[in-house]
This record gives sequence, structure tokens and C-alpha cells, in this order.
Amino acid sequence: MMMPGKTPVQENPLGLSWHDSAWIPVLNPSNIMDYFSERSNPFYDRTCNNEIVKMQRLSPDQLNNMTGLEYILLHVQEPILYVIRKQLRHSPTQASAVADYYIIAGVVYQAPDLGSVVSSRLEMYLTQLSTVHHLQSAFDEASSCSRYHPSKGYSWDFKNGKALAAKKETPVREEPSSLFQRQRVDMLLAELTRKFPLPVPKPVHQAIEASVEIKQEVKTEKKDMKPPPEKKPRLN
Amino acid sequence: MTEKVRRYEKIDFLGEGQFATVYKAKDVETNKIVAVKKIKVGSRAEARDGINRTALREIKLLQELKHDNIIGLLDVFGYKSNVSLVFDFMDTDLEVIIKDSNIVLTAANIKAYMIQTLQGLDYLHFNWILHRDLKPNNLLVNSEGVLKIGDFGLAKFFGSPNRINTHQVVTRWYRAPELLYGARLYGTGIDMWAIGCILAELLLRVPFLPGESDLDQLTKIFQTLGTPTEETWQGMTELPDFIQFKPFPGMPLKHIFTAAGDDLLDLIASLLNVNPLERCTCDQALQMPYFNNKPAPTAGPKLPLPTIIKRQREERPSLKRKLLESIEGASLAKKLQF
Repeated sequence: MMMPGKTPVQENPLGLSWHDSAWIPVLNPSNIMDYFSERSNPFYDRTCNNEIVKMQRLSPDQLNNMTGLEYILLHVQEPILYVIRKQLRHSPTQASAVADYYIIAGVVYQAPDLGSVVSSRLEMYLTQLSTVHHLQSAFDEASSCSRYHPSKGYSWDFKNGKALAAKKETPVREEPSSLFQRQRVDMLLAELTRKFPLPVPKPVHQAIEASVEIKQEVKTEKKDMKPPPEKKPRLN
Repeated sequence: MTEKVRRYEKIDFLGEGQFATVYKAKDVETNKIVAVKKIKVGSRAEARDGINRTALREIKLLQELKHDNIIGLLDVFGYKSNVSLVFDFMDTDLEVIIKDSNIVLTAANIKAYMIQTLQGLDYLHFNWILHRDLKPNNLLVNSEGVLKIGDFGLAKFFGSPNRINTHQVVTRWYRAPELLYGARLYGTGIDMWAIGCILAELLLRVPFLPGESDLDQLTKIFQTLGTPTEETWQGMTELPDFIQFKPFPGMPLKHIFTAAGDDLLDLIASLLNVNPLERCTCDQALQMPYFNNKPAPTAGPKLPLPTIIKRQREERPSLKRKLLESIEGASLAKKLQF
């Protein structure tokens, strides 16, 4: 249905946006169609019925009596959002939508159709490794369920297959860390405890001191030094 | 000759011009509806010179022409010192259609009118005839959507290098710049320019270049399309009535014809080339991409008609009955005094 000598949108229209900053402060429901029909708007096909009616200075009511491409103001949510629909009119009561355009804060975008959304999502999805992994595991599981018998040929056996898959899954339990990592962490922890010793409970401390003093005692025995009075009862 | 007068029964009065009165009539031999143009006798002095010159031109040229898009001269007869011309009956014309704001002229409709006009004009030019008065009013349309070029009162043979023509031809708004500059030797370009103006009018629904005087006409042309120079139009400065205009840059056509496709803009630019030597011919115009591109021209019977004609068509059965009744009661039939 494209009119001759007219290719208003060469590149993918979903990747485009358009605005005219001079218009943005004054946009309202009564002039939004005029804004959309600006010559520089790449979404506006100037061979549409709206432009023919405007060029021929006819009443806009005539649009309903025409057939072919036209634009209508579909939805208004003042002051920020306007939705314009591009449609093919077949009769005064029948028209089929071609595309919707939304104008948010004066910037015009084409609303993507469902097909574009799905294919774009699918494309993104397929490029991710995780998906490849999921797909691969799906194939693996499916193939684990296939059986072959010389007289019957290939067949599916889901009950046993599932059991097999479940069995397979249990032993594959990954360790939370590698040997190297554990050794490194142990080493670091040891270093840290050496630098910042843990606070030791008092009785233990005294015992250590005592043992040291015992050694000293052994040494000092020759010098006939008196043992500290408070330690005597403990030794006894 | 009186037999011929009886052959055409007057149905309705259609209009009156400077030189003639036109009636709608019925050819009782073929049951066809026709238009009878009764040439006015005029003053005694004019009558002494013989038949009116425009009528003579029409008779002389149209008797030799036969084309779907040229008005058919079916018969000529005289009665009581009057001359009457019998033409195909045409319901309306492009002027009426353009002015009817209930009608939307779609791209396909305009293409259908343009093809028919150019084919008729191509036939004329091929036969070395210039129409010299093309305007929406002279492009006649019948209820079947067939367009025929009418009014050959100013038409003339062209091509003789020694024949001097008058430049006072063509209604001003459709007059080419070379005529406004007083050219005495001109060619098919003057008709092509008029076609360009008519096409523009079909698109805009108002006259494209409505000059109020010959000078204003040139100003409007140059303001819109740019002032030509001796480089862009060789020989322009030697024309009898040449005057230098302020150099206007002109306006881009796509700003004027906002809903026109690029192929249509190319055709307009080619028809409205200020330089007559670079203006396209009918044949060249018909070869342009516009006529091969979508949309296809509207089929004749689907072309729009003014509301009055549509109403008449709906009422036609009753009119027919009235006619039949009048034929049956032969004495009641109105006879027209041509």
C-alpha cells in the first residue's frame, strides 16, 4: 500500500525517535496532530488521506468517506502522553490498524508490534550463554529418555529417563571452594591471628606464666632467690 | 434542413455564453442525449461578415478530429440563418468538480483525469493543433467518468514558421510566461503550461496562480517558481514585451503540494518549467514514472460526480418516463427553434 516515490522511514522505525523542540512547550490535544504531521517527522507519510484533505482545504470530516492510509488521535493522557494510530480505512465504519505511535513529553516513538518484541527478546535470550546451557540440558534430558529396541525401533521412556536424570544429578555436587582457595584462606587466617591474637581467658594465661616462672625458678634456684610468696601455695 | 431541426428535441437549457446558447436535447433517431450549441447571430454588422469565427474554427477542426478524449462534433445544421452545432452531451466539467467541496479528489482520481487530458491533448498536438484555451471549465466530464477536451473556439493549427499568432490567448491564470512576454511564435508548450496549472488546481482545489493583471500574473509565476535568467531561458530577453523582474528564488514544490508523492512533483515541475523549450510534451509526460506507479488511476464509472449530477442520475428513471410519455403524445413534444 506504500504510495509511489515515498519511503518515509528507511531504517528500522523502531530504532527512531523524533521531536521538534519549538513545539514541545505548546503541545495540547488540539494541535498534536499538526505536530505529528510536521514535514520532518519520519513517521508521517505525507501521501496519507489527512494530508490530502489538508492540501485540498476540505473539511476533516471527509476522512471517514475516504479509503486508504490515515492517522487518528487514539488516546490522550494530558499533559505528557498522546497515542496516534496509523490505519488503513476500508469504509466509513471499518479500518485496520497499521501502527501506533506514542508521544511522550513531545518525543515521538513507534510502538513496537508483538512480533518485534518477541523476536527481539528471543534474539537476546539466545545470545546468552545461560540459555544455551538450558537448551543443552533440555536436549540432554530428552535424549536420555530415548530408547532403542531392534524390533520396535526408537521410543520414548520418560519414567525411567527421569529417574536416570535424577540419579545423575545427585553425585554432581560441586565443592564450595577449591583446595588452593582453602589453603590460601587458612594461611591468611593464620597470619591474622598471629598479628591480632585472640583474647585468652585469664586462668590459662596464669598457667603459662607459671610454667615460665618454673623455668626461671629452676635457673634461679642456684642463686637462692626466694620464691614469690603468692606462688608458694599453688606449687604446693 | 427542417428535418434536422425536428431530429433534436430540446430537454433543458444548459447555459449561455458570449457567442452561443447551449441546450440539452435528445436525438430522436438514435435516442442519444446530445448538447446543441446554437451560435448567436450577433449584430447586423457581424452578420454581414458571415458566421462567427469561433464557430467556424470549431466546425473546421472538430469535423476532422475523432478521439475518446476530444469532444465529438456529431452534426451541424442551419436553420433560419442560424447555425447549430451538435456535440456529445457532457454532464459536468472539472471546474464544477474542483469547486465541489463534498468531493475528495484522491491521488487515483487526479491521475485518471490527467491521463485522459494528456491523451486527448497528445492527439491534438500530433495533428498540429493547439487548443490555446485549456482550463478546468473546458475539460468536460460525463457521468461515465470520461473526460473530453471541449471548446475549440480558440484552437488553431501551429507549426508554420511564417504564421504569426496572437499572444492574447488562454485565460490569464493558465497563460504561459512566454505568452505574457508577448511571444508571437509559440508551440505546444502553452497548452502544457495550462495542464500544469490545472493539475495544481486539482491538488489544491483553488486556482494555483490567480493573477489579477498580466503583470501580476508574471509576478505570481516567478514568486512561486523562481525568476528565470537568460541562462535558464535563452532568448527570453528578446521577447516583445520582456521586462526584467526582481530575482525571486521560488518555492520548493513539495512545500506547496504537501500530499504529493515525489513522482507527481516531478511531473508538476516538468509541466510548469518556466522555459518553454524545456517544458515536457504530452508524450514525454505520459512516459513519466508517475503514470506507471501506484496508485492506478480510478476507473471511469468510479470517478466522483458533483452532488447535483448524482441526484439527477438517481432521478433518471422518472425523467426517462417523462420523455417516453412526451414521445407517445407526439404533439406534446417541444420543438426547438434552432
